[in-house]
Amino acid sequence: MTTKREKPTELVPLLRTMWLIRAFEEKVSALYAARQIVGLLHLGIGQEAVAVGTCGLLRTDDYVFGGHRSHGHAIAKGADINRLMAEIAGRATGYCAGKGGSMHIVAMEAGFVTATGVVGGTIPLALGAAFAAKETGKGQVAVVFFGDGAGQAGPFHESLNIASLWRLPVIFVCENNGYAEFTPLSAHTLVERLARHAQTYNIPSSTVDGKDLLRVRDAVAEAVRHARAGKGPAFVECLTHRLRGHYEGDPAKYRELSQLAEWKSKDPIARFIRELKRKKALSDQEVEAIEDEARDLVERAAEFAIASPWPAEEEVDSQVTA
Amino acid sequence: MLPKVSREMLLDFCRRMFIIRHFEESLVSLHDQGVFGGHYHLYIGQEATGVIALSCLRSDDYLFTTHRNHGHLLARGAEPKRLLAEILGRSDGYNKGKGGSFHTVVPALGFLHTSAVVAGIIPLATGTAYAAKALKNGRITVCLFGDGALEEGAAPEAFNLASLWKLPVLFLCENNGKYGAGRATGAAQSSTMAAFPLTDLPKAYKVPAQQIDGLDSGTVHATIAETVEKIRRGEGPQFIEAQTVRWPGSETNWPSVAQPTDSSLAWDVSDVPEKVREWYRSCDPLLIFIRELVDAQQATRAEIAAIEKKVKAEIAEAVSFAVASPYPRPEEAAKDYFA
Amino acid sequence: MRELAYYEAKFEALHEIMAGDERVHLINGTFLSLSPHRHVYQELVKKYPDRIMSPPISELGFCGLATGAAMAGLRPVVDISTGSFIFEGWPQVANEAANAFSMSGGQTRVPVVFHLFHGLRGGGAAQHSASPQAMLWNNPGLEIALPSSPRDVKGLLKTAVASDNPTIFVDHVQLLEVKGEVPENDAPIPFGVADVKRQGSDVTVISTSYMVQRCLRVAEKLSAEKISVEVVDPRTLVPFDMATLMTSVEKTGRVVIVDETHQSCGVAAEIAARIAETGFDKLKAPPRRVATLDVPVPYSPPLEEYIGPREDRIIEAIRAVLR
Repeated sequence: MTTKREKPTELVPLLRTMWLIRAFEEKVSALYAARQIVGLLHLGIGQEAVAVGTCGLLRTDDYVFGGHRSHGHAIAKGADINRLMAEIAGRATGYCAGKGGSMHIVAMEAGFVTATGVVGGTIPLALGAAFAAKETGKGQVAVVFFGDGAGQAGPFHESLNIASLWRLPVIFVCENNGYAEFTPLSAHTLVERLARHAQTYNIPSSTVDGKDLLRVRDAVAEAVRHARAGKGPAFVECLTHRLRGHYEGDPAKYRELSQLAEWKSKDPIARFIRELKRKKALSDQEVEAIEDEARDLVERAAEFAIASPWPAEEEVDSQVTA
Repeated sequence: MLPKVSREMLLDFCRRMFIIRHFEESLVSLHDQGVFGGHYHLYIGQEATGVIALSCLRSDDYLFTTHRNHGHLLARGAEPKRLLAEILGRSDGYNKGKGGSFHTVVPALGFLHTSAVVAGIIPLATGTAYAAKALKNGRITVCLFGDGALEEGAAPEAFNLASLWKLPVLFLCENNGKYGAGRATGAAQSSTMAAFPLTDLPKAYKVPAQQIDGLDSGTVHATIAETVEKIRRGEGPQFIEAQTVRWPGSETNWPSVAQPTDSSLAWDVSDVPEKVREWYRSCDPLLIFIRELVDAQQATRAEIAAIEKKVKAEIAEAVSFAVASPYPRPEEAAKDYFA
Repeated sequence: MRELAYYEAKFEALHEIMAGDERVHLINGTFLSLSPHRHVYQELVKKYPDRIMSPPISELGFCGLATGAAMAGLRPVVDISTGSFIFEGWPQVANEAANAFSMSGGQTRVPVVFHLFHGLRGGGAAQHSASPQAMLWNNPGLEIALPSSPRDVKGLLKTAVASDNPTIFVDHVQLLEVKGEVPENDAPIPFGVADVKRQGSDVTVISTSYMVQRCLRVAEKLSAEKISVEVVDPRTLVPFDMATLMTSVEKTGRVVIVDETHQSCGVAAEIAARIAETGFDKLKAPPRRVATLDVPVPYSPPLEEYIGPREDRIIEAIRAVLR
């Protein structure tokens, strides 16, 4: 089934998920500012179209791997936002009983295998899941999200090579937001597009506007079709941007404020809403209701998280080994 | 075809190729006699690339090589007796027996460090290039490795750094892979590298790259000389893939010499064992070179035979020297690991 | 004597090092981590734009580059940033840099410094909280320095850069705001010289890095109970000053070792073994270790706090050896 044949109203749930991510990230940011969440935090505000455009097409039993900026990926894959918020807040009711935190989300029941604090760290892991999927033969695929900063890492190349050689059903989704940590991509490499590296290893690739949910969805649909048919890996590069600094507490001094204003006008959610309205998929009131509902759900998740107990100290010894 | 250089230089190339060939062959019998242990890797079948490429360099340029380093060291002028002593773990070896075959170091010839980890030297080469650029001493770095190294993540990381910071380094990949570890299946050139041709890898990082026939001494010379000049002019890194055909003696786990080399093989391979005959007939860079020397009337068969005879004597002397060299005292193990 | 914050002393050292030797290059630049003062680094960048490089996320690449550059006449200082990331460049550090001098029979020197921030940082979780120095101590060929005070960071950094050996400079983000006396024109601090940070007579507490500060606080607390704690800081693991430690052990007969590496095969384990072998007859009680528990570092703040060498565990260990 191609996305082009979808009725506009069938796309409305995608907006719900985008709003859920946006509201969630904004809430986490507020909790962090109030010091109710500590540690390293990376928000994906502005990158919702990639998460939803990708995960909206996947089966529950498809594997998704993220990076350090993966709250949105997990939510889009179907993670429970209460348990997710609790995990980010280090509570016992979190997905990992408070042991993982923001960068190490695991929501296995939803097929979100793991995130990581190491740039590109899950790329080889995704290969493994794809390898297992191929052996199992149920048509599962693995998807791994990473940023432009991972393109210069050795394991990225090793993984492209192996995925291509062994025809593994893995989809590489690169969110190229032009910045790796604190420096622009151009300071890290002469190569502007990571899809170029997929070409080196004969992996089919596409580069799309990551702020446009439907374009992302089309590109990923093609990649998923390719992988599920046993034809091997595919690469989708989504050009996008961050609407906040690399991590919470980063004043983003390095970014021109004027650039920010320009980017805000390309907000993927606003863009998708315009698209849906143009297709007459929903009314202004319905749009507002979706945002309200998302904020409401997130508010309850925050309450759940903050009210949850801290993990007991003895828990440090639990689940160290199976 | 032959390099466009003087007859004197051509004969010197010939001599160095013989040195490598007879040195490497001598190792096999020494190993089989149990004179030294551990794995070792021979440069037989690649002599033209090493000798001629390295002849294009300045004496103070940096060189990095791998476990298959004997040919590079000898091409550059290392003393066979001291190299052999090192391989045998003796105290007269270049590294006083501490490195062995894998790690021979001769700073005076530009070899500061030799790594046996596949691709281990590639990031290091960007470092000496970086230093040379910072110190403005005009030195370039030549990084020699095999086709397998491109499978390691360290290689693209280094290509990226080299092109990003415009480092004066030549990545010289000796692809002896036709019968190599990455044996071809299906459409890929190799079962272990999806990129094809290999030059696509450095090109993806904007490192200019070309493929050459590593058996053709003239092409090797012209290409390397020109490429080295580009790097010295400050144009940034370059990549060259030199293709050779793997020596059949390394097909098995341990090198074995089915056919000892003699210059006469250049014209008559009828006595060569059948399973390796074709290689010696058409894929041996040393035999190709001396055939071309005679055809171009740069040397007679007799002159070549004379050169070879001297080389054989030199290698025999090196063997005597190395075998007679004492082992280091055991206490040396606990010394000299910090400056 | 003037008082400086740790990060000020560190920066003074970097300025003096950069000004003093143009072979020094800095690769990667989070020497002040994510601290609010990190803009200070930009002063250095402005002053020496050609000698300060900002590499991509390629630890294998830039650790190797720094090592090669050191072989070829520069004296690079590589910032690995979060200590856990050394695992990404480990082959170049442990297998190339560490081995080069020895396996070349002494021909090739590698005057490179690998700088990193180790340990529990408050919410770093498992992949941003490593203390790799114990593993590195078990990999011969590397010098290892761990400053614990403003004076130490300045003095040790200078020696690290001047050393012809590859050096791991193990720093800690929790030290950055610590204040301490730093003499003007301070000389470099030699490696292999431990420092008695606090004199005492009842028990010898040996500790490294940020734990030194914690032990000093504990010592102050216990002095109210008339327990006299001597705090000894090795400052470098390689080379290691056994003599100063043993002088203290002979004086007190009781040893507690406090270190942030994990318990098994950790820094404290090695020090305890050396003391037991050398001064068994001087000990009035078995040495006690207070190290991070043998678990992957959990994220949640109470869990992270629990697994570290907490104050209460240090105090308990001190009481135990005094019994």
